[in-house]
Amino acid sequence: MAIINYAQKVINFKVVYYGPGVAGKTANLQHIHRSLPGDSKGNMISLAAGDDRTLFFDFLPVSALTVRGFTAKFQLYTVPGQVYYNMTRKLVLRGCDGLIFVADSQWERLRENVESFRNLEENLREYNYNIDEIPYVIQYNKRDLANVAPLEYMEFLLNRRARRVPSFEAVAVNGDGVFDTLNTVSRMVLVGEFGQEKGVDLETA
Amino acid sequence: MVIREGDSEKINQVLTAFLGESGASEALLIDRSGQLLAMTGANRALDTVSISALAAGAFSSTGALAQLLGETEFTVLFHQGAKESMHVSTVDDQAILLAIFGERTTVGMVRLFAKEAAISVGKILAEARERPKDMKEMSTPLTAEESRTGFGEKKA
Repeated sequence: MAIINYAQKVINFKVVYYGPGVAGKTANLQHIHRSLPGDSKGNMISLAAGDDRTLFFDFLPVSALTVRGFTAKFQLYTVPGQVYYNMTRKLVLRGCDGLIFVADSQWERLRENVESFRNLEENLREYNYNIDEIPYVIQYNKRDLANVAPLEYMEFLLNRRARRVPSFEAVAVNGDGVFDTLNTVSRMVLVGEFGQEKGVDLETA
Repeated sequence: MVIREGDSEKINQVLTAFLGESGASEALLIDRSGQLLAMTGANRALDTVSISALAAGAFSSTGALAQLLGETEFTVLFHQGAKESMHVSTVDDQAILLAIFGERTTVGMVRLFAKEAAISVGKILAEARERPKDMKEMSTPLTAEESRTGFGEKKA
């Protein structure tokens, strides 16, 4: 839920990276944290288990441009991807304004992507959110690996709702596609909150 | 939700009074999604953005624990340190109140006055949420230029 604070001249949004375990959600945040200049990011927090898997969430606050005197701030969260962490995963979704679904492109992980997407829809429903109303994008990660499924097939699996959403190929550990994904979803979130003048194509803006 | 200058002033008055009565050093009003709504207190450099995200996470996690026991929620969360402690309590179903306090007061005092402060702050937040969204400068749609917000990678 966007919070607009007139005293601080700040608009706060929450964006959540969702997807199956070890798909690269944390790698996205780590690259963003490495790449942004100091004045547009805060501390990154990782609540991880011993084996580097996210236990509760990763958190990174970042600020984008100023819009009409207000600074747009985005709080980026990841969820734990493992199936058995659903309770904590659901907690992180609370109040989210936008979503990035990070899919693992490897053939053997396709089923887990589909299951994770279904799990996302279910968890959103429990908060009375509707996936068709929340701004989201899909990122097909690990495109540098040898055993990846073709893009068209992944789109067929994950992006065939009535509303086709923007999708991106990525190699998050190298940073490829990370900012394209983030910038697109943050624009969608802003426009979703305040609307946009007619005749402008958001995805090419 | 839109927090206007007037709301901020009222919230700060309540939080300042709460600090005076309870002896706590800082009070943070936090949305349950993890965002800081308001803060009052000692002028030291705390990473309030991280504190808010972590406290909201911890509080929602204890809420889930409560439900496993058949409780609606645990309304108070208390962390005791050697010198400083933290008390987190429910304001309403969308906000929590976090107080940081040292050795000059007790958890009982903080708990007592946090309850009162939560009621006052809850009323202000409820008004803010119910108010029609008069967005003033944000009421017209964004232009293409304005929606082209983005994050720039720093150049190596």
